[in-house]
Amino acid sequence: MQYLNLCSVLVLTYLMIIVKRAPALIRNFCFQSFFLFLATLMIAWQERSLDLYVIAGLLFVLKVVFIPQALHRTIRKIKAHEDIGLFINPQLSLLWALGFTCLSWELSRNLVGLNDITKTAILAVAFFVVCAGIFLMIFRMTALAQIVGLLVMENGIFLLASTVAGGMPFFVEIAIFFDVLVSVLIMGFFVYRINKLFTHIDVNKLSRLKG
Amino acid sequence: MQIFIILGIPFLLAGASLLIKRPKSLGILNSFGYLVILLFSASLLKEIAGGSSPRIFFNFICLDLLSVFFILVIAVVTFAAALYSIGYIEKDIIQGVISARKARVYYLLFNLFCCSMFFVPALNNLGMLWVAIEMTTLVSAFLVGFYNKKESVEAAWKYIMICSVGIIFALLGTILFSYAFSVSGLAKTFNWSEMTPVAHILDKNTLRIAFIFILVGYGTKAGLAPMHTWLPDAHSQAVAPISALLSGVLLKTAIYAILRFGIILIRGVGFAYFAHLMLILGITSLIVSCGFILVQKDLKRLLAYSSIEHIGIIAIGFGLGTPLACAGALLHVFNHAITKSFMFFGAGNIVNTYKQHNMRAIRGVIQALPFTGIMILLGVFALTGFPPFTIFVSELMITIAAFRQGAYWVAALFLLLLAIIFGAFIHQFGKMVFGNLPKGMLRAGEPLSGKIAFLFLALIISFGSIAFILIKKDFIWMAQKLFLL
Repeated sequence: MQYLNLCSVLVLTYLMIIVKRAPALIRNFCFQSFFLFLATLMIAWQERSLDLYVIAGLLFVLKVVFIPQALHRTIRKIKAHEDIGLFINPQLSLLWALGFTCLSWELSRNLVGLNDITKTAILAVAFFVVCAGIFLMIFRMTALAQIVGLLVMENGIFLLASTVAGGMPFFVEIAIFFDVLVSVLIMGFFVYRINKLFTHIDVNKLSRLKG
Repeated sequence: MQIFIILGIPFLLAGASLLIKRPKSLGILNSFGYLVILLFSASLLKEIAGGSSPRIFFNFICLDLLSVFFILVIAVVTFAAALYSIGYIEKDIIQGVISARKARVYYLLFNLFCCSMFFVPALNNLGMLWVAIEMTTLVSAFLVGFYNKKESVEAAWKYIMICSVGIIFALLGTILFSYAFSVSGLAKTFNWSEMTPVAHILDKNTLRIAFIFILVGYGTKAGLAPMHTWLPDAHSQAVAPISALLSGVLLKTAIYAILRFGIILIRGVGFAYFAHLMLILGITSLIVSCGFILVQKDLKRLLAYSSIEHIGIIAIGFGLGTPLACAGALLHVFNHAITKSFMFFGAGNIVNTYKQHNMRAIRGVIQALPFTGIMILLGVFALTGFPPFTIFVSELMITIAAFRQGAYWVAALFLLLLAIIFGAFIHQFGKMVFGNLPKGMLRAGEPLSGKIAFLFLALIISFGSIAFILIKKDFIWMAQKLFLL
């Protein structure tokens, strides 16, 4: 069952890399977070720990419901073009993603060895999700895609922390959730401002400061 | 006990900025608050320096010499910035750049920013340390985009994005550090006070990989080249007192985080690995910043690139790794914080009077702003490492250490780049300070609070070196104790 979750996360990350429109990107992010929530819930059920239930609940509220809704609303409000502006076309992006997958497999094999294959697989997926986030941030032009990229990276880190390091201390986990919430709100605020001042959210065209 | 007062006062001041209506009285209250913090942090340093083991409060706050030293650095600079803010914000209100309501927002953000910075060196949990550093980014992004112009919003966006990505790598590194812990069969922990004593039995391979992530992550925040790209934009667009805080202490909190992990790494895998990484990044920063300083036209960007240079010097100091070099680097953390905020105050006054950043158009500062002109001249010599100013002492310590250790190439490159940067600074600032005043410019007034801030810092810059030479032995002892050399 845990493998199924893991596969879903992997597939959804691939989908995020190849989509062209902002609503689709956000929807995929929402699904990815949902499977992450399922995975956490299962671990919580296995270990019967209240802390993990709380964390899973927060994950659901924040990343599955609140943040995607907020991002959808932002798109509607600023009436931005739905295109997220690809520097690299979907086919080439897919090749990059394949490369990332191999790379993360190598890295995780180096780090934990092949004794516990489940752990290695989870670690590889986590690294891949982080890489995909960076990829989205670098090779997509709009500010909105960059926010989603950052969130995807954070999802990857969450997966890594909850499986490999046996979860972070409860207190820290809550603080990080709070942090994610605040950073998304602040970034959303800046997207509004950029849209107001420049009448677009194409970050590639922000080039007043040089040298 | 003092630490709770230090952490509490900024919170109270933030609350006060919601209640008090007049910006000027708010500013004065602010300065008093930070003066109290400064006094308490000095007494805290005295207390901790006496004891031998770290002091832990509720397993949440843990203080050793390194953390208290950084708290003192932050306290000095925030006090000066609070003083300088009074006059600066007053002037902005009179000129109609911002409203009185926005001035209160400024003070609110200023206090939250300072609060998050004070938390960084005080925390015991490395995960919470990460949260505190991310908080500094989020709060200061508003202060970078404060004037709401196209340039400043662009700078704020770049700042928040690049630093957030960088810092996610740091979180990855933090998790891997804790993973190294669980691999070694020890109970899971995130507290550095528990990690440091047992660092030698941690898994070496994992520690090495984890530290790379830490260095990339917090190195982005510290402005080490080649991850420095956000720094010139953010520092040149922020409100002047905030530029001083960003350059003076925000970068130092990231350096603190690197050192915290570095200490665990050094005890785990030895010094050579840490030293090589720091040396490479330090020299790269020095070279990159040198190039940009030579061709720079914008006053505040020039100072921002100079910050990259000094962060590079600090990294080289830690990279050389002898007790003398580490002591020099620690001193340099303090000296750069003071001198750079001093220079940013000067630049703030100049930009406010001339209404532009372009150094080609700024001429005759000493006629328009006599006090600032003199101070900035003093600051240029101090910043480029002229005796008898404090930066000279720390740079000399690092150079001597390099020669003693036989790192001749490093020493030669270091001195060459410093000489080039010195030349560039004298060239740029000489024209600005002494040239002919543009037509139609009048002598502008300088607010009293700004002058007090200048004098306070100038005193430390000029006479601190004597104090440093007297307490050099203590510093070397401290460095030795911290890094187990």
